[in-house]
Amino acid sequence: MTEAMIRLEQLTKRFPGQSEPAVEELSMEIPEGEIVVLVGPSGCGKTTTMKLINRIIEPSSGRIFLEGEDVTAADPDQLRRRIGYVIQQIGLFPHRTIHDNIATVPKLLGWSDDKIRARVDELLETVGLDPSRYRDRYPKELSGGQRQRVGVARALSADPPVMLMDEPFGAIDPITRDRLQNEFLRVQEDIRKTIVFVTHDIDEAIKMGDRIAILGERSVIAQYDRPEVILSQPADGFVEDFIGSGASLKRLNLARVRDYELGDWPTGRVDEERPTLLAKLRASDKGAILILDAEGRPQRWLRPRDLQRPDASLSDIGLVVEAKVEPQATLADALNELVRSRVGSAVVVDKSGVYAGTVDMDVIMTAAEAMRKAARADARASMDAESSAGQVR
Amino acid sequence: MTPLEQLEGFPTYLANNWDTVLELAIAHAIVVGVSIVIAGVVGVGLGCLTYRNQPARDAVLRVTGLFLTIPSLALYALLITIPGMGFGAKPVIVALTMYALLPIVRNTVTGLLGVDPAIVESALGMGLSRGQRLFRIELPLAWPVVLTGVRVSTLIIIGIAALGAILNGPGLGELIFDGLGRFGTPFALPIALSGFLGVVALGIVFDVFFNVVTRLTTSRGVR
Ligand SMILES: Nc1ncnc2c1ncn2[C@@H]1O[C@H](COP(=O)(O)OP(=O)(O)OP(=O)(O)O)[C@@H](O)[C@H]1O
Ligand SMILES: [Mg+2]
Repeated sequence: MTEAMIRLEQLTKRFPGQSEPAVEELSMEIPEGEIVVLVGPSGCGKTTTMKLINRIIEPSSGRIFLEGEDVTAADPDQLRRRIGYVIQQIGLFPHRTIHDNIATVPKLLGWSDDKIRARVDELLETVGLDPSRYRDRYPKELSGGQRQRVGVARALSADPPVMLMDEPFGAIDPITRDRLQNEFLRVQEDIRKTIVFVTHDIDEAIKMGDRIAILGERSVIAQYDRPEVILSQPADGFVEDFIGSGASLKRLNLARVRDYELGDWPTGRVDEERPTLLAKLRASDKGAILILDAEGRPQRWLRPRDLQRPDASLSDIGLVVEAKVEPQATLADALNELVRSRVGSAVVVDKSGVYAGTVDMDVIMTAAEAMRKAARADARASMDAESSAGQVR
Repeated sequence: MTPLEQLEGFPTYLANNWDTVLELAIAHAIVVGVSIVIAGVVGVGLGCLTYRNQPARDAVLRVTGLFLTIPSLALYALLITIPGMGFGAKPVIVALTMYALLPIVRNTVTGLLGVDPAIVESALGMGLSRGQRLFRIELPLAWPVVLTGVRVSTLIIIGIAALGAILNGPGLGELIFDGLGRFGTPFALPIALSGFLGVVALGIVFDVFFNVVTRLTTSRGVR
């Protein structure tokens, strides 16, 4: 294994006047370019652990390495400028414009005004905010979700190799949270930062994490592994309880629609004759045919009895296609859409809305089986690797 | 002459002596202005130095609070006994500065402690040094509260400054004491009244001034 981006060695934090340490002898390696999620029950020490990394809380003992360098005694302000920091309350500076908020660290680092301006605009674009509209606003003139995006942009401003995020999407409504999570994962595909992400929500951990560390009391690691392994082979009862019921369902959060073979439903065009459509439908084993418009975008589901109504036009009958997902959606999203849909199938469309296939129950079942197999193989491989290397990760 | 008749003489008096009244008002404003600038620097400084340390903070607030309980005449009397102090503007400015401290220190401390901890933490997490956090983040956010303290102090010492005339201090107090000294003569009331109204007018002017300053120096994002 190459040198980890962050290495914690026997980190302990005792707060004055408390008998138990908040973090006890924590050792852990965080590999470069991955999202490592710290998850665990409230009060187990996640936030304390995270703040030990950028030394907002100074450790009582132990060492911290960043990019192989011992930073336990380095100048904390210099250290923090190399580490992006996002907290749940965001903490935007209310007296400064969005531009100035994002420009904070670049200014400290002495960048030129032109460079800063270009960087701020670039970051606003990255997080999906139109620079010309938002750059000169003040934080109070943004919605909660927009503020959270600015918080992320601000943490990314000086392109730090490491980001610490403490429940960054915790105080946001579920729909916006879902969107922000997806956006953030998309951004991360490009920027490949090393990210330590704290949450107490196991579902968020599964969705966001390349690796998950499940922490117990005093930040003791109960299991630290890839999400699929944690879901299929929980290390002990504590992890099992923490994952909760429905581990198999949760595993669907790990699978993307684009990675699986899609279902094949009969399709037809709006301008085709009804007998042709009916013949296609009869030739399949499905209960409905999907009608596409001239550009190939799904319009309606038609069942045999819809097609037998001679009076109405094709664009008025049948069921409007509501359950749609994009290829990067998770199978869990697709399953959710599928259950909502009245024909038992979620339609997959590409970016421009063109039909790409369907996800139905067969697709989900096949995928679940494939994941089970992969997880078993994965676990076996990592056990072999460990026994041959003679060490425990 | 009844007081009412004397009152009728007021406009005439003012018309004939407006330049004297204006001169005294300006002198009054300068004494107040100098004191408030000194108290502002000292008070905000003390607030910034002590707000994170509870014992120090409490001590400063107690001492400056004590100043405010000393009757102004007693303080003036006390000050002139200090060697080198003498009469005139100097002891008045010292006294006014002492009276102005408490509201400024207290509001500075309150304002700084009132800054959202999440904002301070994010500043810390971004690598802003102690001084950068104070001057770029905390003070600007506490600023409206600090200014309110300065404004309250100003209004308090405008009145106390009038008593400074006892020490030959400059200002509108001269008219008030002059009027009182001529009790029974026709001009007693117009003279005292012009001093009194001058003080009130000055208070209004300062108030408007601080309104403008607050507007100009407070970010649109926190208004
Ligand atoms: N500044 C502090 N002084 C004393 N004790 C503290 C301090 N900060 C945290 N603790 C204690 O340390 C323990 C861990 O707290 P921490 O905030 O790290 O938990 P957490 O896992 O982030 O919890 P949550 O999910 O509720 O945010 C708790 O018992 C808490 O009371
Ligand atoms: Mg926490």
